[in-house]
Amino acid sequence: MGTTATAGLDGASFLDAGRRRGILGWILSTDHKRVGILYLAAMVSFFFVGAGIGVTMRLVALSMNPTIVGPQTYNALFTVHGVIMIFLFVIPGLSAVFGNFFLPILIGARDVAFPRLNLASWYFFIAGAALAILSLFTGNGPPDTGWSFYAPYSLRTGTNVTLAVFAAFVIGFSSIFTGINFITTVHRMRAPGMTWHRMPLFVWSVYATAWVQVLATPILGITLLLVILERVFGIGVFDPAKGGDPLLYQHLFWIYSHPAVYIMILPAMGAISEIIPTHARRTAFGYKAIAYSSLSIAGVGSLVWAHHMFTSGMSETANMVFSLLTFLVAIPSAIKVFNWTATLYKGSIDLSPPMLFALTFVFLFTIGGLTGVMQGALALNVHLHDTYWIVGHFHYVMFGGTGMAFFAALLHWFPKMFGKMYNRKVATLAWFPIFVGFNMLYFTMLVLGWMGMPRRYFQHLPQFHTGHVVATVGSWFLVAGLLILFGNLVVALFRGEKAPANPWGGVTLEWTIPSPPPVENFHEIPTVTGRPYAFNPGRTR
Amino acid sequence: MSGPGPAAAAPHRDYQGAKIGMWLFVFTELILFGGLFLLYSAYRTKYPHEFHEGGQELNVVIGVANTIVLLTSSLTVAMSITAIQKGEKRRARILLAITLLLAAVFLVDKVVEWSAEIGRGIYPNGPELLKRPQGAIIFFGLYYTMTGLHGLHVLAGIGVLAVMLALLTKDRIRSDDYVKLENAGLYWHLVDVIWIFLLPLFYLAA
Amino acid sequence: MPFLSQTAGITERVDSVFLFMLAVSVAFLLGITGLMIYFVIRYSRKRNPQGEDIEGNAWLEVTWTVIPLVLFMGMFYFGWTNFEYMRNPPRDAMVIEATGRQWAWSFKYPSGRITDELFVALGEPVRIEVRSLDVIHGFYIPAFRVKADVVPGKNNYLWFRPEALGTFDIQCTVICGVDHSYMLSKVHVLSVPEFKKWYFADENAPAAGRSPAPAGKPEAAAGVSPGLAVLESKHCLSCHSVDGKPMVGPTFKGLFGAKRLVVAGGRDKEAVADGAYLRRSILDPSAEIVKGYPPAMEAVPLTDREVEDVIAYLRNLK
Ligand code: HEA
Ligand code: HEA
Ligand code: HEC
Ligand code: CUA
Ligand SMILES: [Cu+2]
Repeated sequence: MGTTATAGLDGASFLDAGRRRGILGWILSTDHKRVGILYLAAMVSFFFVGAGIGVTMRLVALSMNPTIVGPQTYNALFTVHGVIMIFLFVIPGLSAVFGNFFLPILIGARDVAFPRLNLASWYFFIAGAALAILSLFTGNGPPDTGWSFYAPYSLRTGTNVTLAVFAAFVIGFSSIFTGINFITTVHRMRAPGMTWHRMPLFVWSVYATAWVQVLATPILGITLLLVILERVFGIGVFDPAKGGDPLLYQHLFWIYSHPAVYIMILPAMGAISEIIPTHARRTAFGYKAIAYSSLSIAGVGSLVWAHHMFTSGMSETANMVFSLLTFLVAIPSAIKVFNWTATLYKGSIDLSPPMLFALTFVFLFTIGGLTGVMQGALALNVHLHDTYWIVGHFHYVMFGGTGMAFFAALLHWFPKMFGKMYNRKVATLAWFPIFVGFNMLYFTMLVLGWMGMPRRYFQHLPQFHTGHVVATVGSWFLVAGLLILFGNLVVALFRGEKAPANPWGGVTLEWTIPSPPPVENFHEIPTVTGRPYAFNPGRTR
Repeated sequence: MSGPGPAAAAPHRDYQGAKIGMWLFVFTELILFGGLFLLYSAYRTKYPHEFHEGGQELNVVIGVANTIVLLTSSLTVAMSITAIQKGEKRRARILLAITLLLAAVFLVDKVVEWSAEIGRGIYPNGPELLKRPQGAIIFFGLYYTMTGLHGLHVLAGIGVLAVMLALLTKDRIRSDDYVKLENAGLYWHLVDVIWIFLLPLFYLAA
Repeated sequence: MPFLSQTAGITERVDSVFLFMLAVSVAFLLGITGLMIYFVIRYSRKRNPQGEDIEGNAWLEVTWTVIPLVLFMGMFYFGWTNFEYMRNPPRDAMVIEATGRQWAWSFKYPSGRITDELFVALGEPVRIEVRSLDVIHGFYIPAFRVKADVVPGKNNYLWFRPEALGTFDIQCTVICGVDHSYMLSKVHVLSVPEFKKWYFADENAPAAGRSPAPAGKPEAAAGVSPGLAVLESKHCLSCHSVDGKPMVGPTFKGLFGAKRLVVAGGRDKEAVADGAYLRRSILDPSAEIVKGYPPAMEAVPLTDREVEDVIAYLRNLK
């Protein structure tokens, strides 16, 4: 990491140059771009492990009788699947990968505000992941409580909950430090002329996310710490046998974990707000509405946590208020969906792979959001709570939302990050099995849930069997599609054509520098003079 | 876990940025304890009587003494910052050393206090405590958790302040570059403020 | 879809809220998807090489904020009022206590009768008070659209009015350990006369469904050894058998004196099931786990006397 701006624009790319060579040059680098790629590598690996477990669970559901695993293993499978997907994939999510790589570039900076802290965040992340893996192989076996670690079961089970919870605790630090870093970066490092209303929408969403990370994660920290203290010392605060209240655990858990779902989705929405204008070659419709709806989602989103507890026997007033707020928080998401659609109007649209996945995001996220709204209605929630409907809902928003946006962003920025272009036809081809498989798998789950199939079930009753078989077959399509998608990118990494600096004709700052970017990002810090998506100067309304 | 360092690799030193970072970190700490305060208030409403009795059992003298110790140490660290601003390095070092000493006194007091209670069998899963009503188990569970976590923060603070003392000695903190000391001071005030909340909640609960 | 026709009063309400929200949702989904597809085709780069930078339209944006807001408030209102109905049981409802433990349900009627499947009368409102003996469970009857979390140390309830004869599933919905998915039961809706006959029948006559040994009265049957009584009253027998049948835990038959292969701290170990071993297994079960079994057993706070009784009983169980 140099400190002066002497390297020219044709200076070496960050992939080649660096103080140290080889692997050390990566894991000791404080260059935000390298840190971003470190996150990418780690998270894609975890995603594949988690996905493998997901596919295994589908195989279990293929039969009415115990087959490949027993009930204890199944309970461990969905717990580990949930923990990996939530804490190691969608929570760091687009913010850690693309936020790290592109946030400084998009605001015209050379790095984040605290580069060393940034690398430290990655180490916390990896340390947490290592602990989580350790928890699988030590003690009395992997945790079997579900990713929500509800007390008192999590206090009593003999499995290795303590270590798994500690792992999540450590990962929390990573999230907090990233948040602190990004907030400070956005406040202090913007290039001259980069006023708040000239920031690209991805920056807005990462900024809003950073606030949620900073304000909500400590609550998770203390909650998990209390579970550990409870298990090790028996302090009693969540243990009904000692006068503790298990519902207080649930409150504390969801005070973090509901805002966490917005940590997952906001950067995804931000990436979509970059991709759609760029590939439609026109400015974003309702820039301010999109920008401020991110902030309002972050704000109102921290007040709806108890919608996960409507059947727990809370007071009527609490139920009423939390349901009302749940409906209100859906409004800013609705605004975004409408704005994205309107951004297509009178554009000049190229249905490139990133655009295809971005529009798929809009479709799948809308389904996920609408099912979420249905759960938010009190009378309906009673029936749907803790059934496969919920499982369907969150796979639609997390996988169909955050996951698809992750793929879209990867396809959009891959040429910039690695300087290589992938095969567009193959990427489009991968879309078909993914789309078909996804809906076969998860829409069926919604139907099963409405029929009354409870979640976290090793074995199901006969009336649910057809649905489970359909879903499992869907998962195979999904596997095929994802293998094509990632295979294509891996091939491109080694043998792809050289990508031009601006393959999509974008106008935000990352497209003004070479692919891959030089170590310094910018030869000279740019001066910004206008709105971010001025594609058609002279044809502005 | 120390707070974020100043932007070392940035082309220029950004004090403002370093301070924003530190303030954000202080916020996260406050929220961390905020979660515990939430629990405390929920349980106090549920078990008012046991909380009252629990408070009577704690050693108010040590509690108040420790408050004075911590408040004084907050003062000395602030004076140390003023001193280095004026370039009085020696004074700054002495004041910082006093802060460290006071922090150590606080911890010693804490150890004395805890050992007395543990000696009586009053600790989580302790024989004496398990005989008490549920509210008392919760009161002491929270007492040990919250003062323990605070104690860990004091320990971390001692570490941070010791590093600052070393940096002062090596002239890495100077009258024109003292943001690190300022941030360390901020952290120390946080530790102090949290204690100010703990005192009435536990020792003066009676 | 037959599961929709087996209605209770609540069922229709929940279903109508569902259909209303589904209709609105489908309309919006189709609208948005249709527009997206239309725009992608109509404004493709081929047909429209140059785009236009339309930055916004205040009227349009207000419209698409207000319309969802109004619809959402409607949905909230329907959800809430019907929920109020579901939370306010009629005064004349029959109160039945449903107790969940790992991994079985039992039902206690006002008469004191205890069953492990639920019997109710057609058209007569029932209020179920749910209680847990250990961890959180979830009491769920999908056909009646009712569910309540069963939280230890808390009282929770639900009510319904059965509106069709037949037998319906009860499932546990909160993860509660290995056999969470086997924590099932049934609700039998009988006609009023039939229910009366069942209800006032001799308590000891075996009704439909397996009646367990009446809980709370361990010494009931004369001649039962005190050890067996403890096993029954502490619910050990829901995981262990005394006849060699494998259940969640190892069978007790022939256990005493046998060689055991256990896992302690991740390592395999051999042990002999003597008195000390059994005592350890009961009081601190997660220290050593019998190989091939899940770490599912919780420490059971038995008194010294009770442990002695159990061991004495196991010693003779060949
Ligand atoms: C990325 C993560 C993510 C996101 C973005 C969301 C978004 C939403 N979620 Fe979801 N949710 C989860 C992840 C997420 N959720 C997870 C993981 C769980 C389960 C946790 C567990 O128990 O394991 C869960 C569970 C969950 C529950 C608890 C269910 C239960 O257990 O009983 C509820 C209840 O209200 C809920 C509601 C919502 C709502 C209202 C939104 C809204 O924000 C959605 C807003 C979006 C839209 C509404 C779509 C676009 C809008 C339009 C097109 C406008 C037009 C529409 C109309 C006029 C109707 N979610
Ligand atoms: C982003 C988050 C995310 C993602 C992407 C997924 C992806 C998948 N999940 Fe998800 N899931 C969760 C988050 C996620 N899940 C959470 C939080 C829970 C709740 C846990 C709890 O209850 O506590 C859950 C629960 C859950 C259940 C419910 C378990 C239960 O309640 O009983 C099921 C059931 O089938 C399931 C299946 C799947 C499947 C088949 C995939 C697949 O879509 C994965 C598809 C991806 C691939 C297929 C990858 C491509 C190819 C390979 C990996 C190579 C092939 C390898 C092998 C076949 C070994 N998940
Ligand atoms: C929730 C289910 C459950 C309940 C209830 C339960 N056990 Fe167990 N028990 C198990 C399981 C599973 C094992 C095997 C794993 C282990 O060693 O912990 C086990 C193991 C044992 C063993 C060691 C057996 C061997 O084969 O070496 C003994 C003795 C025992 N239990 C006694 C009891 C007694 C006495 C009670 C009641 C007071 C009881 N159990 C209640 C699940 C249960
Ligand atoms: Cu009881 Cu799940
Ligand atoms: Cu939520």
